[in-house]
Amino acid sequence: MRKFLIAAAVIVIAVLASIAATVGGALGPLFNGVRSLAEFYLLNVFNPHNQTLTAMSPEAVTSIVWDYRGLDTLFETVVFYMAIIGCVSLHRGIELIRKRSEAGLSRIVKTVTKILIPLNIVIAASIALHGHLTPGGGFQAGAAMAVAPIIVIVVFSRFFLLRKGVTKEVALSLRSMGLLGIALVALIPLIAWVTTGSAAYVMQNQVKADSSFSFPAYIGGSLVSGSLIWYNIFEFLAVTFGFTIVFLLLSVDEETVRKVLGGEEHE
Amino acid sequence: MVRRFVKAVTPGIVAFLTYVVFSGSIRPYDVVTGIIVSVVAGIITAELLVMSPTKALNPVRLLWLIIYGLYYLIIAESRAHFDVAKRIINPKMPIKPGIVRVPFNVKTDYAITSIANSITNTPGTVVVDLNTEKQVYYVHWIDVKAPDPKTTFEHISKMFERFIKKVFE
Repeated sequence: MRKFLIAAAVIVIAVLASIAATVGGALGPLFNGVRSLAEFYLLNVFNPHNQTLTAMSPEAVTSIVWDYRGLDTLFETVVFYMAIIGCVSLHRGIELIRKRSEAGLSRIVKTVTKILIPLNIVIAASIALHGHLTPGGGFQAGAAMAVAPIIVIVVFSRFFLLRKGVTKEVALSLRSMGLLGIALVALIPLIAWVTTGSAAYVMQNQVKADSSFSFPAYIGGSLVSGSLIWYNIFEFLAVTFGFTIVFLLLSVDEETVRKVLGGEEHE
Repeated sequence: MVRRFVKAVTPGIVAFLTYVVFSGSIRPYDVVTGIIVSVVAGIITAELLVMSPTKALNPVRLLWLIIYGLYYLIIAESRAHFDVAKRIINPKMPIKPGIVRVPFNVKTDYAITSIANSITNTPGTVVVDLNTEKQVYYVHWIDVKAPDPKTTFEHISKMFERFIKKVFE
């Protein structure tokens, strides 16, 4: 009876609170209309008539992340990679050996999981390649792709992943390639500056008032939003393999880690 | 190497269809990027997913898969749902739950998995474990008619196995 009364009281309070919030306006009046800052982005993210301010992408978030505040994102990316480098250096000296015995879960789970891997790849790639058109982008795609190695580690075995060639070294090189790609895309305007002599800015996407440099907004008639598609592709590569390295290292058992990192005992 | 490319065809097609459906559009941009991504995904997963490329590309097997899909979704599922619904509505709740052995006579991973998932997905029966050496599933059955392998096979997986054999074996 007491439990029933408490439950009834909670329900009544919840209903009254939601009525107060929605009808009574207890949270204050809702803001109607668009703020001037939002208006600027909505007007300019995809605006072929105002080329000095546009990012040529209908996706406002990606435009802001990789163009309007591109340097900020670049440094965020660097922070993420420093964290992974920290993880790698913490695990230095630990060899990811390949064992013969791979237990894993049952054959049913393994079969279902392996069917999902190609689907995981294409869905993640779609998120990356449509990052300049629809919500998503390189980091989100990389996070989605990183599901594949962690599932394989759980369902098959860490040794299975290593045997299939996804080693720490491979993942490190692919991650570095992604990172180099991002740096290259950021510096391509400078190459244009050196060769043509016209002004250009680091991480520049479309033409500016005093710079004629521009990444192609369309390739073969398809909208690629200049530099945004390239940042998304390289970020996808870098994040996917950044996470893969961390998963590989974290799946090493504690005993092995301690054997290497524990140091020697001295009398 | 050539064999690997042939093996990559089936996963590649499935990957491409998934890409297009997930992207939700089929403009030239989606088709071009979709083909590139699907070829990569197909080649990466070919050895893992496909044992025999001729089996994977056999249209007769695909036809049997479609027939099985129709049989399963229209007949087997309705029958099982109706049976369990009757047991739920009946005030006496006529259930006799238990875990039984159900034998299977297939070898490949896909066949074993398909039969197991067919059993699990119909209400009233759930595969809780399997033993590939003894070739049996351990199935939780809502109404154990008899625990012997012949009865369980007859009632639970006979029809599934008949179709699955034509698709995957």
